[in-house]
Amino acid sequence: MSMAFGANDGWQGSTASMLGRWAMTAAFIIVLLVLSTFPFKIGHFGEIRPSFMLMAIYYWAIMRPSTLSPIATFIVGLAFDLMGGFPLGLNAMTLLIVQWGTRRQRKFVLGQGFIVLWMGLALVTLGAGLFQWLIYSSFHQNFELASLKPVLTSVVMTTAIFPLIVLPLSAFNKSLAERE
Amino acid sequence: MRTLTTRLTPAVLILLAVTLMVFHKMDALPVEQMRVALTDKMAPVMSAVSEPFVALTDSFDGIATLRQLRAENMQLREENAKLQKWYENALRYQAENQSFRELLNVKADPALTYVTTRVVSDPGGSFVKSVLLPVGENDRVSKGNAVMSGQGLIGRVTEAGARSSRVLLVTDLNSHIPVTIQNTRTKAILAGKNTDLLKLERLPQDSGLTVGQRVVTSGDGGQLPPDVPIGVIVEVGAEGVFVKPLSEIEKVTYVQVINADVDRGLSTGEISTPVDKHSSKRK
Repeated sequence: MSMAFGANDGWQGSTASMLGRWAMTAAFIIVLLVLSTFPFKIGHFGEIRPSFMLMAIYYWAIMRPSTLSPIATFIVGLAFDLMGGFPLGLNAMTLLIVQWGTRRQRKFVLGQGFIVLWMGLALVTLGAGLFQWLIYSSFHQNFELASLKPVLTSVVMTTAIFPLIVLPLSAFNKSLAERE
Repeated sequence: MRTLTTRLTPAVLILLAVTLMVFHKMDALPVEQMRVALTDKMAPVMSAVSEPFVALTDSFDGIATLRQLRAENMQLREENAKLQKWYENALRYQAENQSFRELLNVKADPALTYVTTRVVSDPGGSFVKSVLLPVGENDRVSKGNAVMSGQGLIGRVTEAGARSSRVLLVTDLNSHIPVTIQNTRTKAILAGKNTDLLKLERLPQDSGLTVGQRVVTSGDGGQLPPDVPIGVIVEVGAEGVFVKPLSEIEKVTYVQVINADVDRGLSTGEISTPVDKHSSKRK
């Protein structure tokens, strides 16, 4: 399975359309933030909690790096930290590292099909999960390791749900591209 | 020059994030105030945005097979019969207790007030076990208040804004609650481990605990009211004593904030120990 990626590198167009795109992106991110903090408790499945923010940052870093600058990513991460009760800077740092690392591998992933994009996400999510787990554990007074099970569950869920999330993400990309 | 700046930006920002984390760890930043300010603004928005999702998850819950319903009904009937007996007992004990209190001239615990509300978000997920409530100081909720679901304590308020408050759940790694084993009156600290089970720490040696004993708050430290049920001992082994909370903490949607202006020491008749002081502050 391969997809047509409308990759685009750079801001163009008039100030008005730029503002329009900026507002769209901001609205999209607010929805993602709320989704990331909402407790989905579906029947007997228990909690479903994939990292929506991480999926979006990863996707944009490959398909459309101009969507979110590192500074914007930093601000989004900080907002997430404050809203979620995380150690301040934890998500800001994780998202920045994900964005930076993914952008470096962008050319390679772009040339491949969807499976590679998906596998890349699985790797990135696992890395980010373990990284946050270590940092959070070290934040505890006695450096006590937190349970790893919820982290791995979240990694599996994020990977499993990614193909579904790609649809709204690519639709969003298209509507941004149309405004250029 | 421009490319150099573009290249350096992520590195500088990552460094800034690390610095923020270190400062937070050192308590050098007013993180709590910043959080309260943001969540106060966001709580109504999140409450509104989450409305359709609540409806969605509720409708998922509504789908159950007839067989499940029958089984549940049967179970509830049995439970109801048992509870009827308990209700009679409770009335009898209440009357007895009242007469003893009058005999002894005991000064009763101050009356507790409750605020019932819905959980608007629990963002932490894998690490941070906390939830956000759309009630705050305007609703007389304040820092330190106990938060319960139907069956037992689920956490306590660690940050309270005007319209929102954050609850640190008992399962969080930073949660340490002074407790008593109900029938032996053994004191201990109940610590969260980021798993479904909680661990009893600082137990006296040879405390003789057994599976099935109930764990309640001791009220020491004056922050939480005494005798609020939390859980039941499910494991006594070499690795420690583990307690299963009475409420299914991960599935809680509605909670009660107990607003107890507990007069320190009065309720327990003991000298308060500042034992849970550090855990009320998020590290």
